[in-house]
Amino acid sequence: MAVERSEQPEAAPVPLIELRQVTKDYGPIRALCKVDFQIREGEVLALLGDNGAGKSTLIKILSGIVPITTGEIRYRGEPVQLRSRQDSTNLGIETIYQDIALVDDMDVMRNIFLGREETGRFGLMRIGSMRRKAMEVLEHTVGISGIKSPEQMVRGLSGGQKQAVALARAVYFKNKILLFDEPTSALSVRETNKTLEYILELKHEGVSSVLVTHNIYHAYKTADRFVVLSHGRVLLEADKADTDIEGLTRVVVNT
Amino acid sequence: MQLLSTLRRSPAGNIIIVFVVAQIACVVFGLLFPQTFPYLQARSIGALLVAVSPLTIMAAGVGVLMISGEFDLSVGSTFALAPYVMALLVNNWGIPAPAAIAAALAVGAGIGAINGVITLNARIPSFIATLGAMMFWRGILLALSQGASQSFRPGGWIQALFTGAIGPLQAQFGWALVVVAGVYVLVHYHRLGNHIFAVGGNLQSAVAIGVKPYRVKLFCFVLVGLLAAFAGVVDAVESSSISPKQGQTMELLAIAACVVGGISLTGGVGSIIGVLFGTGLLFTIQTVLFLLRAPGEYLDAFVGLLIVVAVVFNRVTRKE
Ligand SMILES: Nc1ncnc2c1ncn2[C@@H]1O[C@H](COP(=O)(O)OP(=O)(O)OP(=O)(O)O)[C@@H](O)[C@H]1O
Ligand SMILES: [Mg+2]
Repeated sequence: MAVERSEQPEAAPVPLIELRQVTKDYGPIRALCKVDFQIREGEVLALLGDNGAGKSTLIKILSGIVPITTGEIRYRGEPVQLRSRQDSTNLGIETIYQDIALVDDMDVMRNIFLGREETGRFGLMRIGSMRRKAMEVLEHTVGISGIKSPEQMVRGLSGGQKQAVALARAVYFKNKILLFDEPTSALSVRETNKTLEYILELKHEGVSSVLVTHNIYHAYKTADRFVVLSHGRVLLEADKADTDIEGLTRVVVNT
Repeated sequence: MQLLSTLRRSPAGNIIIVFVVAQIACVVFGLLFPQTFPYLQARSIGALLVAVSPLTIMAAGVGVLMISGEFDLSVGSTFALAPYVMALLVNNWGIPAPAAIAAALAVGAGIGAINGVITLNARIPSFIATLGAMMFWRGILLALSQGASQSFRPGGWIQALFTGAIGPLQAQFGWALVVVAGVYVLVHYHRLGNHIFAVGGNLQSAVAIGVKPYRVKLFCFVLVGLLAAFAGVVDAVESSSISPKQGQTMELLAIAACVVGGISLTGGVGSIIGVLFGTGLLFTIQTVLFLLRAPGEYLDAFVGLLIVVAVVFNRVTRKE
């Protein structure tokens, strides 16, 4: 096995998700221009770039809430359509948004299970079971919470706690690909470190993550690969082995 | 004390406390001044529960729609049109009463569906769409009826079903409780209820998570129309007649009951139990004014005051 592989060192495995020549126009504004982009199995990919570079747009395309204008999307080599949130969920993609997508006036449990409620007869929710599972996943998997009860309203939570709820949602539903759009922008140092640690932990369980961030240090610490966007184009794509933090900083700052 | 603090934290807590305090005050004054303030006479309580039922049924639907972030101003017109059609079918076409009642409910659901489709497809505020609907359907009804009332005396089991009593429980109020209980379970324990809170609370997030707002809101619009029609039917059987002018400004009372009951004007917050007690509080005030022989016009003034106080109060308590 090992010998065979070393004979073909260039044959990269088929990526989990691949964008080919994807362009996205918002009316007259070209947010992405002929972008080639891959997410590989079990990697942490940092997506960097200035404000308005198109990072969030790329994340929204992958989560199915923004349609592409032209180009192609492949999942494990097969062309797929990402026309709705449902399509991306079906591929095991979960997004943790910049402006965290939680409903403030609903409790933690209902947020975790929103859209995927456990239901019994007549579509009535299994509140007891959902509460138990919410508590379990908050306690054991996401260590940053300090959330006392799954019936706490999200409105009263700190940024880190909200992040924990969003993470709990992603984790509970066993997703293959997590997309983080500036997950740490609202967090304290401690909460940020926990979140980054958590991304690495999930990597060891085979989960791929895309991390959008303005913090190159965080990106360098956590990611295996880096993609820098500038004005909707890919400026740099590099493995960690092929770059260092100074080189990366130079590219990002000079965009 | 434990109970009180639990109550304060629950969404309907404030209104329940206010309601109970108002009741205690009324009972105390009723005992102190049985002649001038006969609050405790069994007849007036029974009559009150019957009178409160149509508005309670209507407000339950209006409350659900408000939680989803929309309004329906046309419920007062539906409250007249649906039972009017029912009575016409029976009186002029000899249609059996049960079928006519079903038709009335279909009229209500249909009006709700039209409101929903217009609001959601044209992407206009439901406030405007249903303001138009309110005037449109009322106008149609006034024109066709030429202002004449219709009588409705179904008799037999239908009459018993809507005006009978099981022990002290009057049928009208029984229906109101059934509706409130059904809506309560739907909103707070059904997955659809979860989605209703989500689309009203944070539409963007709900969509990002995969909730389908069109379906959810359309359902709410249909439910409101259906319940407004049902309220009209309950009222019609009780009073044996339907006036084409009935239910005017009732939409505002229903919204008032919801707001007083703690439902947010911007959607996403509230409880159906709160709506029940909000309606109760409006009627308590009405009864007190009636017993004090205050002219009926004062009611509007008090309800107006109450709405503003309730909204300010909710705002202040939610800020903390
Ligand atoms: N819904 C929209 N309608 C019109 N233009 C949009 C929309 N969303 C984004 N854009 C534009 O597309 C471009 C890319 O925006 P995007 O949000 O993807 O940037 P970003 O890299 O995430 O920036 P930031 O770091 O500030 O979050 C910007 O010029 C932005 O103004
Ligand atoms: Mg962004």
